[in-house]
Amino acid sequence: MLYYLSLPFLSILLVVVQTTIADIIFSGRLVIEISLIAVIYAGFRLDLIRGSIFAFILGFVFDCIAGSVIGLFTFIYVVIFLCSFLASFRMATEKMYFIGLFSFICAFLEEVLVILFYNFIFKFDILANIPFIFLPQALVVGLFAPVFFYLMHRLEVFLYGKPLKFAERTGNSRISAKI
Amino acid sequence: MFFLRNYKTVIFVTVLLIIALVMLSYSVKYDTGGGVFRKIVLEATAPVQKVLSISVKSVSDAWLRYIFLVGLEEENKNLNKKINELKAELVLYQEGYLETQRLSKLLALRDDYNYRFISARVIGREQAALSKTILINKGTAHGLKIGMPVIATPGLIGRLIDVSWHVSKVLLLIDENNNIGAILQRTRTQGIVSGAGARGCILKYIYKNQDVKEGDSIVSSGMGGIYPKGLLIGKVSHVQKQDAGLFLKINVAPFVDFAKLEEVLVLASEEPGSK
Repeated sequence: MLYYLSLPFLSILLVVVQTTIADIIFSGRLVIEISLIAVIYAGFRLDLIRGSIFAFILGFVFDCIAGSVIGLFTFIYVVIFLCSFLASFRMATEKMYFIGLFSFICAFLEEVLVILFYNFIFKFDILANIPFIFLPQALVVGLFAPVFFYLMHRLEVFLYGKPLKFAERTGNSRISAKI
Repeated sequence: MFFLRNYKTVIFVTVLLIIALVMLSYSVKYDTGGGVFRKIVLEATAPVQKVLSISVKSVSDAWLRYIFLVGLEEENKNLNKKINELKAELVLYQEGYLETQRLSKLLALRDDYNYRFISARVIGREQAALSKTILINKGTAHGLKIGMPVIATPGLIGRLIDVSWHVSKVLLLIDENNNIGAILQRTRTQGIVSGAGARGCILKYIYKNQDVKEGDSIVSSGMGGIYPKGLLIGKVSHVQKQDAGLFLKINVAPFVDFAKLEEVLVLASEEPGSK
């Protein structure tokens, strides 16, 4: 219960911190989307219910603070969580190169969805931003993701004595129906 | 029942996705500017943003004061502020002189408006790829409403798009979603200034045969009813005559340095009266 109650506050803290870091390091031109990396991490580590609620709340908070259309990043983050969750059954999610590559692909997928949304719904052409903003941003996410995963791994070892692993991820290819 | 029990996890996730899609469709269709949840998130964000901004600013201030002589930085800041105020005053006088010249040739055209200003402090900024916004520390409790123009020395910076009880979000004029009716001060040619992100702004719908030079000042035209007339927007930084198309490609450099915004003024307009 504490997990669900603390989620909104921790989400706000995460989004505000990532915005402040972006302001300091990149003068606001790029954002290190730690929230997206956190969603991917949740896809690899958490179960379906907790992880999808986490992605939903984080996406909603991001929508509110970033000023985008409400529901856009909420939907995108849940989709990315589901992709990460499904990928975790089939792929070597412990390897850093895979984490970096997968995060880059997820960041790029997020940006493609955003471009398509603004193109089809609002008729905004933001394709010109791809080489100068979206690609560098996806690269930053891909490079920073292994660092984040390493830090979380150390935190898990510190808190629990060993890294978290859920039983249904070890070779079982079916999605668990248990809450 | 058997089906529901066995697949309740999948059903739950599907319901979450549907809720997200419904929220998205509702926002796109009605564009309410955000419901109660959004206001609550904004209110909760403000203290966190404030604490982080103060911490970062304290560290950077301490660093700057270590390198430079104490007081020199403050003096420089005051002098720059004074220069910007004088520049804004000069442009206002020029604007007033030009307006007088025009009005003396026309019949009984009066433009009288009555505004009161509400000052606010910038407590956070969001400059992601898709939106350029800042947070200020005033809201509906101080008389602010969505749509009110926001200015800072020496000119216009944007308008309010989200207002909660004690916090408001300002959409900056460099945001791609922002469009302002504008007028070239020298030639009185009218156009639309649109945000262009890191590139500043773009002045649109100026025909190729119009006289536009680099350095021309651009002010708000008052068209559209959101921004009053005569507010400084920026100056022309680049003019390009394209082979294809009817219009010039004009880049505009805003007068305001958005990275250094600390205090702003919100124009809380009353009903404009005419004599």
